[in-house]
Amino acid sequence: MEGELLTVIIVVATALAFDFTNGFHDTANVVATSISTRAMAPRIAVGYAAVLNFVGAFISLQVAATVASDVVDPGAISLLVVFGGLVGAIAWNLVTWYFGLPSSSSHALIGGIVGAMLVAEGPGAVFFGSGILGKVMIPALVAPTLAFVIGGAAILSLYRIVGRLRPGPVTQGFRGGQVISGGLLALAHGTNDAQKTMGVIALALVAYGSLPAADPSPPTWVIVSAATAIAAGTYAGGWRIIKTMGSRIHKMDSAQGFAAQGAGAAVILASSAGGFPLSTTHTISGAVIGSGAAKRLSAVRWGVAGNIVAAWILTLPAAAGIGALTYGITRLFGTGAVGPVIVSVLILIGSAMLFSRRARHGGPVAAAPSKA
Amino acid sequence: MIASIVDTHALLTVVWVSLLAGIGVTAAYGFAILGGVRALELGRSGRIGEAAMFAVVGVLGMATTVGAIVFGIVVLSD
Repeated sequence: MEGELLTVIIVVATALAFDFTNGFHDTANVVATSISTRAMAPRIAVGYAAVLNFVGAFISLQVAATVASDVVDPGAISLLVVFGGLVGAIAWNLVTWYFGLPSSSSHALIGGIVGAMLVAEGPGAVFFGSGILGKVMIPALVAPTLAFVIGGAAILSLYRIVGRLRPGPVTQGFRGGQVISGGLLALAHGTNDAQKTMGVIALALVAYGSLPAADPSPPTWVIVSAATAIAAGTYAGGWRIIKTMGSRIHKMDSAQGFAAQGAGAAVILASSAGGFPLSTTHTISGAVIGSGAAKRLSAVRWGVAGNIVAAWILTLPAAAGIGALTYGITRLFGTGAVGPVIVSVLILIGSAMLFSRRARHGGPVAAAPSKA
Repeated sequence: MIASIVDTHALLTVVWVSLLAGIGVTAAYGFAILGGVRALELGRSGRIGEAAMFAVVGVLGMATTVGAIVFGIVVLSD
């Protein structure tokens, strides 16, 4: 039992570390458009997003319920499966962060859990139909497409409404609007992304026996700690991803920034209410590209958009592969805490190497000149 | 086949709510800017009646924006 307690502590700590990397890697996308259009200073925008991510985590628990109950069989879950899934997600997040690709932390997490579960219990313990396909894959296609369409339609309607006004006051007006839309986007991110970690910790508590498999609702301490971790991660960084999202896809004016943020927030909030754990990164990317393409197709840097799509396609299988491998390695050391401890140390060493390499050599993603 | 796997009702709700909120609220804010900017310009040039009309458009646009956001958050947290 003591070994199990140590394992569950390691798994919860790893889940919160993932949540932190989620904030670090993912949430910065939320503020990219505000910074790109100079609606907010970078540090203020990041702090503002961190606070609203924290608040958003308390608004709804639908997505946490989906992750805890509808992706894999909670009755067959084990602590090592949850740990393998988390390591798969963290490792993929670190790799895509290093290369400056805004891939999905959410899909990485779900891919990691599914990969580890497949190796541990076989395909019977994974809900491929109504869970993976119905709750993850199809919404993963619908949400960015919807955000693209809404972003485009919103900016066209805005240009029609304010197109004949003097640009100065209009720009000021939309910069003010971006304080609202950027805040909503951060709030939306908290409602969807922080809940995924809550769902995973709930799965770990089911495996440990402190939550019933039939109703794995996360307790309050899980909600508070997940909200805190994602908010801290948001504040800590993500500048490289900001660069990709904010100006490398296309150069935005403040009306486009407002339309993109409004479209992204609307899709994410509606999806959170429906319990769909979608990729906030892909949704925001879709809205940003839509608002640019509606103005002028050539304004979008399609090469960068293509990299985002490539990361999108790779994320589920890559994280699943790492999750499966991690589960296999930890099982070599039995079902106790030895395997997770060894893997955690290896992950920490790998992360330190990536961070120090980045610090020494700077970013592999160079700042591209903006395209008017 | 797909209909039995996907909760189509929930997914369609996401689609129409997102369309309404994403396009409707941004357009409402656009009218808030239109009303505010035009009201100021017309007020400065002494056309008080037209300025008042645009001010109403601006206030309605802002009220719609704020009201829709508050309503959405209340619905989500229920």
